[in-house]
Order: sequence, then C-alpha cells, then structure tokens
Amino acid sequence: MAGAVPTYKLEFPYKRSLGPIVGAFLTGLRDRQVLGIRSAAGRVLVPPLEFDPETGEENLEWTRVGEAGVVRGFSWVEEPLPKHPLDRPFAWVLVQLDGADTNLVHVLDADSRAAVEIGMRVRIRWASETRGHMSDIACFEPEAG
Amino acid sequence: MAERCAVIGIGQTHHTRRRDDVSLAGLVREAAVRALEDAELGWKDIEAVVIGTAPDLFEGVMMPELYLAEALGAVGKPITRVHTAGSVGGSTAVVATQLVQSGVHERVLTVAFEKQSEGDTSWGLSGGRSGGVGAGGYFAPHIKAYIERSGAPEHVGWKVAVKDRQNALRNPYAHLKLDKIDIDSVKGSEMLWAPIRRLESCPTSDGACAMVLANEAGGRRAPRAPAWVHGKAIRSENGFFPGRDPVNPVAGQDCAADVYRQAGITDPRRELDMIECYVPFSWYEPMWMENLGIAEKNRGWELTDSGATAFEGDIPVNCSGGVLSTNPIGASGMLRFAEAALQVRGQAGERQVDGARRALGHAYGGAAQYFAMWVVGSERP
Repeated sequence: MAGAVPTYKLEFPYKRSLGPIVGAFLTGLRDRQVLGIRSAAGRVLVPPLEFDPETGEENLEWTRVGEAGVVRGFSWVEEPLPKHPLDRPFAWVLVQLDGADTNLVHVLDADSRAAVEIGMRVRIRWASETRGHMSDIACFEPEAG
Repeated sequence: MAERCAVIGIGQTHHTRRRDDVSLAGLVREAAVRALEDAELGWKDIEAVVIGTAPDLFEGVMMPELYLAEALGAVGKPITRVHTAGSVGGSTAVVATQLVQSGVHERVLTVAFEKQSEGDTSWGLSGGRSGGVGAGGYFAPHIKAYIERSGAPEHVGWKVAVKDRQNALRNPYAHLKLDKIDIDSVKGSEMLWAPIRRLESCPTSDGACAMVLANEAGGRRAPRAPAWVHGKAIRSENGFFPGRDPVNPVAGQDCAADVYRQAGITDPRRELDMIECYVPFSWYEPMWMENLGIAEKNRGWELTDSGATAFEGDIPVNCSGGVLSTNPIGASGMLRFAEAALQVRGQAGERQVDGARRALGHAYGGAAQYFAMWVVGSERP
C-alpha cells in the first residue's frame, strides 16, 4: 500500500550557560592563557571544574598552566572524514599540560603515525584569531627540538 | 517502617525566566547549599543524593545526574535519578524519604531542577516546532469536560489565576510578579488552547529546589523546627485506556487515600491547614480539589469561588503562588513539597498560614497519570 508518509523536521535548539568558572577558562583561551583550578587535595584540573570533585566545595584557587605538555594517549586517524578538524592524517591526543594533573582531549598535527608516541612533548598552536572558544587552541604540534 | 523522617533543611533559587549567569550545576548548587545551610550541615554530612528532573530532552543533557554528582558532593556516595515527568520533584522527595524511613541512610540530600532556558521546552509543552499538541493542548479538552460536567461558571478559572499571582507577591522566590493582574486582564488575555487563556497558564522558569531529610535523631537535633513526614505515596496509571477518567484519575484518588491513611487523616478539608497543589493551568485547582477528596465531585469550583482556597480561606491552596507563578518543571513538584514543609515549620515568611500544623504537598505529571504526594506536620508522628 502506498500510504502517505507525513514528515516534519524535529529541532532541538539547545544552548548552554557556562557559569563563572568554565566561562573564565574560555575567556583565558581568548587571551592565549590556559587556566586551571587547584582542588583541595592539591590537584590542578584543566579544564577546570566548578566545584572540587572530591569535596564538593567551591571558591577554588585559579592557576595558570603551560602551553606545552606530554601526550598520555592517542588515536591515529589515517583517513580524516569531512567533519574532522584537520584535512590530513592526525591524532586525537590526551595532553597533560605542564603543571596540570589532568589530561585534555585535543588534536595533534603530526607528519605521520610514526611521529606520534606516548610520552612525546607537544605544544599548543593557537588559532590566528581567538574568540573565547575551545577552538582557540587550533591543535597541538610536536615541540621543536 | 523502621524510622521517622524529618525535613531539616530547605533551599530554593530565586526562580526566573533565564539564569544565564550560572551553569546547570551552579543552579542546582544554589538550592542545595541553601538547604545545607538551613540544616547547618556540610557536604560530608550527606550520605546519599536523590535527584530529579524532567525528561533529558528538555535541556539536552543526557543523564545530567552523572555530571552533577561532583557538584553535589556525591562522589563515592549513592546518587539516584528519579523520572516521573512533571511529578518528578515530588516523586524524588518520596524516594529520598524512603531511604531514610527504611533505615538505609540517616541524612539524604534531595534536589530537583529545570533550566528551561537551555532548551526549547515548547517542544514538550506547547507543541511549538514539534508539531505535537503540547501540554496545554492535551489538558484543554479535560478542562472543557470538567467545566461541562460540573456546570462551573467560567470566571472560576480566572479567579485561580488572579489568586495564585497575588500569592506570589508574598513569595520572594516566585518567578512571575504580576502586581496588576485582575479578573479583567485574565479574561482579556489571549486564548491559547480553549478554554485556557495565557494568564491562566504557567510560565517557563529556571530554578531548583533542595531538601535535607534526616531520621528521627537528626530531626531532634535539627537547629530549626523540622517538618515531619506523616505520609507519602506515589501512584501511576496509563495515559489512555478504556473507561479512564482523565478529569478525575483513579491514580490520584488512590494516592491521596494512601497518604491520608498513613497520616491518620479522615477529613482532609478540616484536618489539613493548607495545600500546595500542582496547578499549571488555572482549572486544575478545582479539578484536583475533587481528586484529593477536599471537595465533592463536581463541586470543587465552589471551593475556589467561595474564597476557601484563598490565602485567608479555611483551606488555602498555593500560598507560594504555585506552578502558575513559578514553573521550573522538574523542580515544580519538589517546590510544592518544600512549601508545604516550610508552612508547618513556620518558616514561610509573608506567605505563612497562621498556625499551620499539617500540610499536603502534591505533584502530577505526564498525561495527568503520575502522582506524588506527602503530608507533613509540625508534630513528630
């Protein structure tokens, strides 16, 4: 039976309010600074959480961390898809920035799979224009030398 | 039941249209911190968290309880999410109460929230872009059926709309503050879903509510007078089945009968000092008064019309301004429960009913099919 198929487009136009902590972290990126917070146990969390994950307390101390760090894990992408951040082979990486106790998920622009290894040092490549968004970190690149 | 349960801390946000200044976690924390401060307890004193919110698609955060666990100091502790649509704030409080009454935990934090500004709740509530009928469209025929069968005059709905908004003027936390509202402005407002007019409808709000519940020892030690739980119940029924009466659902009647039985109440009209009832559209006040056994069938509207449910009446309903003035959906049910508790603690400020000793908190959700209620009292049961 060739019945009519009613169609309509569902839309879910969500938005997010960042609040004072995540908002300040992104504002820091606009100024090309990476900010973290120090938990009561002394761990530096990057990106910052609004509240101490162990105690639930707030008003944690801000601290600035380095623009370079160490790769703690990665996944090599040999054939990027159209929506991927780079149009050439790259790696998704977990980066522990200098001074941070947590890993940040990001993109590593490396020449080849052979150029990537756990423990290698990488550095932020900033976007040409920063606007207070996670993409202000364009990607990471292997640290020179 | 092994243990008694006491409400020893209550907190809520100042509800408003949008809270762009805080994250979801920040909003929920505001209410939780106020409840802890009221109870003079810290995060470490809490043994478990029970959290409720409306369906995840309202805000587009899947399983927000996982992300909120850290914000609520729940790392390493049990956190439970409750789902019962619009009644969830009430059901969440009932689940938390059971954790105390069963003796499993001594002190439980229960929270409920909605940040409607982060999503498009018109998808779920008013049809909007979904192409669906929405909540107002769904309930309008039930309201029309009630008006027909009860013979209620149409001004009854307008009266509820005015009364609840005037009550909200005494509540510093209420969202809508319509100080110029009167019968004429309600009557003249846009018809949204006949017979429901705009000013007979609830707003969309951002807000959260939290309570700290404790066992008997905790209730006795509380720094401020606690509210004791005298009875609590949840009931559900299918949204559609042959012979169902959606105007006066059996699940609601059964739920009320259960809480009255637990509380030893035989004449709720006389034995309750006030009611916080889930009224998102004005006509639900008389409809629920019948469902709750406060009024005889088809005579709930006389209660409203006579002024009995007004702040000065003998059975005041929604002294806080109710859902008609404040509707962060997931929190709306818990706000009813918390406002009832505030009344019997004598801590309802300008909206306090003189000498309130026993109060009913009520919530409903879905297709008027999920019910949650509690009766709280100033005296230990």
